[in-house]
Amino acid sequence: MHEVRTVTYRAAVLEALSAEMRRDPNVVLLGEDIGAAGGVLKQTDGLFAEFGAARVIDTPISESGAFGMAVGAAMTGLRPVFEVMFGDFITLVMDQLVNQAAKVHYMSAGQFRVPLVLRTAGGIGANLGAQHSQSLHAWVAHIPGLKVVMPSTPADAKGLMITAIRDDNPVIYFEDRMLYTQRGAVQGDDQSIPFGLADIKRVGEDVTLVATSRMVGVALEAAARLVEEGISAEIVDPRSLVPLDLDTIVASVRKTSRAIVIDGGYLQYGVTGEIAAAIAEHAFDWLDCPVLRLGAENLPVPFSKTLEPLFLPDSARIAAAAKALVRGDAIPGGNYG
Amino acid sequence: MASGATLDWRAQLAVFERMLLMRHFEEAVMRLFKEGHLPSHYHVYIGQEATGAAALEAIDKEDLICTTHRGHGHVVGRGADPGRGLAEILGRSTGFNGGRGGTLHLCDRSHNFLSTSGLVGSCAGLAAGAAYGVKTLGQSKVVAAFFGDGSLEEGLVLEVFNIAGLWKLPLIMVCENNSGGAIGIQGGGYPTSVTSAQHLSRIPECYGITTAVVDGTDVVEVYEALIAAVERARSGGGTTFIEAMTERWPGNQGLWPELATATDLRDAWDPSRSAGPHAKWLQQYDPVLRLARELVAGTMASQEDLLALDKKVRDRIDAAAEFAIASPPPTADTAADGVFAS
Amino acid sequence: MSTRSSSDRKKGPSSPPLPPRDEVLALLRQMKLIRGFEEHVRALAASGQIPGLVHLCAGQEAVAVGVCSVLRASDWMASNHRGHGHCIAKGARTDLLLAEVMGRRPGYGLGRSGTLHIFDVENGNLGTNGIVGGGIPLAAGAALSARVRGDGTVAVAFFGDGALNQGLLSEVMNMAAVWKLPALFICENNGYGEFTAIEDVTAGRIIDRGAVFDMARETVDGMDVLAVRAAAHRAVQLARAGDGPTFLVCNTYRYSGHHVTDRQEYKDDAEVKKWKDLDPINQLAQRLLSDELVKPHDLESLDMEIAAEMAAALDFARGAANPTADDLGKYLYA
Repeated sequence: MHEVRTVTYRAAVLEALSAEMRRDPNVVLLGEDIGAAGGVLKQTDGLFAEFGAARVIDTPISESGAFGMAVGAAMTGLRPVFEVMFGDFITLVMDQLVNQAAKVHYMSAGQFRVPLVLRTAGGIGANLGAQHSQSLHAWVAHIPGLKVVMPSTPADAKGLMITAIRDDNPVIYFEDRMLYTQRGAVQGDDQSIPFGLADIKRVGEDVTLVATSRMVGVALEAAARLVEEGISAEIVDPRSLVPLDLDTIVASVRKTSRAIVIDGGYLQYGVTGEIAAAIAEHAFDWLDCPVLRLGAENLPVPFSKTLEPLFLPDSARIAAAAKALVRGDAIPGGNYG
Repeated sequence: MASGATLDWRAQLAVFERMLLMRHFEEAVMRLFKEGHLPSHYHVYIGQEATGAAALEAIDKEDLICTTHRGHGHVVGRGADPGRGLAEILGRSTGFNGGRGGTLHLCDRSHNFLSTSGLVGSCAGLAAGAAYGVKTLGQSKVVAAFFGDGSLEEGLVLEVFNIAGLWKLPLIMVCENNSGGAIGIQGGGYPTSVTSAQHLSRIPECYGITTAVVDGTDVVEVYEALIAAVERARSGGGTTFIEAMTERWPGNQGLWPELATATDLRDAWDPSRSAGPHAKWLQQYDPVLRLARELVAGTMASQEDLLALDKKVRDRIDAAAEFAIASPPPTADTAADGVFAS
Repeated sequence: MSTRSSSDRKKGPSSPPLPPRDEVLALLRQMKLIRGFEEHVRALAASGQIPGLVHLCAGQEAVAVGVCSVLRASDWMASNHRGHGHCIAKGARTDLLLAEVMGRRPGYGLGRSGTLHIFDVENGNLGTNGIVGGGIPLAAGAALSARVRGDGTVAVAFFGDGALNQGLLSEVMNMAAVWKLPALFICENNGYGEFTAIEDVTAGRIIDRGAVFDMARETVDGMDVLAVRAAAHRAVQLARAGDGPTFLVCNTYRYSGHHVTDRQEYKDDAEVKKWKDLDPINQLAQRLLSDELVKPHDLESLDMEIAAEMAAALDFARGAANPTADDLGKYLYA
């Protein structure tokens, strides 16, 4: 089916879930308030009505125990999609994720697979405060045995969720709830997007912006500003952090000779560091300047309406950094700790 | 605070005033949200005031408190400035947390609150830790933790039951069970508790903790249970778990609190006013109206007295709201303050 | 020092009649095999032939054997760090098991996992586990899977008294009870969590942890394999009928320390003797002899059979190759 429709990011994920649940009776959902309530942001709306309580399971507020059960269920024939309500709460499932799910296949020498998806939504910008705004993808990307994906558009959201469900490994699927109402084109039900395949969201010549999740859209806005300065930015969206498509990123940097890595997690010891270091290793002789990193401030997220918007790099800051690289100027106050 | 074994009428009036403060504070929060001053989701204490107000009457100024995301009532009921409370909820620099915490993390150390967490269950851990500190330091304080029925689904809370029970911590765990009504899973509505225990209080009992179940809308019952718990804690008798049952306020159905009706004390003694969809709430379950009704019926106060008190509280809250709206937001140059203690 | 008394063990309503002779002999054989295995492991560890630490279950055999004797190969089981007995009782081969414990390539984990991460999918073994309580949700998840897929299997979680105070256990037991999952929660109460007596860290009565969740529950004499078997049988019936989980508290004792180098200074001789007098293997052997179902020479034959099996396992494991650098990256992802 190749008809193209425009749907929201949230609806795109929902389409992937329902398509896969229809296709495979072993796909089940677990989470808090995902059943009759349809999810706190209506992200599972309609699934309970279609698939019933046996396959759309409301758990108590017992993230650790319930996720551990999802791991056990995945080891024994089911393909669970487990929702952690807020990205911050991934802390509550860390032991079962890191010490069990990530290692079972390896430790059992292939006897057991853990075909599960952990979906969670981070996203600074809803004024929810320090414990309800984080995206801790860097933590889990650090753990061998897990796969980590971050869709930035409805099409990517749908395609990556299909792949995640079909993958026989534990996949952590990070959404940004601020993208939920963003609209975009999606295709038919079977359009899965492979992991380890970055997407060039904008072709350019002068600087490579590697951006994840919501930062892709912000980078696109920066690119529009840069056009007025006569600077052409190329935007590479990795889509999956693990496995990472380094080839596409490096090819882009070898073309443009300049790179900025932009991610919505805390800057310190984050995803940007990993990608920047990899670029330096593989494209050193092509670089005209150091690789820059932009990320969330190294601070707990303040609830305040005036402070919260300062937290993430905006299009002006990205554009200023790109311009400085191209012009050979001093870099304007980045956030280096 | 009162320290007698039960609430005399003077104390009941003080409790009633505290309940009005809690109620009108939350109504102000909802009004401010409607007017666009508040950016985000919030949780109100409406329907649970009798529990908080009576419990606060039983503990001393020096005792420690820990609350949750549904904590505005506890904070203002304890005597913290409602203007600074509203300012915090609006994210202004004059708020208790400098505008950084907001509704989920409202706390006031000068009134002996511990940090307020938005994670379900963590209140129990923090409070137990504080109680351990109190005991180790040989202080005579007690620690009161307020949380909801959903907290008992978190394993952390059961770990706390074990430790508190074993070490006889000077801890009072007040579980405000507002899932008593048909709202919840049975009603096909917004799910709340999913627990196999027939009675929540059975859970801490299995850890050797003394428990009590009270009508959370009855200030005398709540107070008497708290006073007993305070005495037990101070005398080295250990932890008490008090389950206070309330009906969930109809405005709490669904994700976003809506003002079902604005509280009017005349609903307490004039049944003709309370027809319509919320009649049952007004006539039976609203704890503010219930106490007003009882105070008048028991001739402990007249309708005029209570209406005058109500106006006094409303005026105070109105001033608090004005203060909050006029307060400046925090500035960018203060954003990094306080990440580490110096 | 644990202050539990032997009267803590609840005997079933006067010893029930023995199952058929062959079945009872099988129970005895399994327990002896586990005992022999652990003895070999202890000796190997003492002579430096086992990397890392091992945790031995000698003394506790009746619980593993009694429970697993009523399970099918297709039923699921999750174990803990003291899991060799569970693995053997659930059908693991002693040669492959020993190879893995010694870090040799033909072992269950390619020689890379060791004693703490023994998986055996053919026998429904979801793994021994290095995280206290870590296997409990895995077993409950398998029970959830069984429910959703409707395949009639049950799942068993073995854990010690030390796991009782993990919040995780409560969360999982709650969900298993609410959803009436076909799960068995088996607490092997040996009186110690590592070096600490259980009373020092556990409030209330252990059996009440099941009462909390309104779950079927029993306290069982964990030194009597027939009592364990009978209780497990009741629990499995309940589970397969869709009537939900059971919590069994099996009172038992570990003769060894927490791990092989633990000097056990927290135990006293009187306590050790008291429990050894209740040794599960001796109990059953005595019963068989006094009921004249076996003669002494049958027991000697059995011992020789087990010695032969263990000798073969030892030869196999000692002679097996180590994993190589090429094996390092295998099976990271499916």
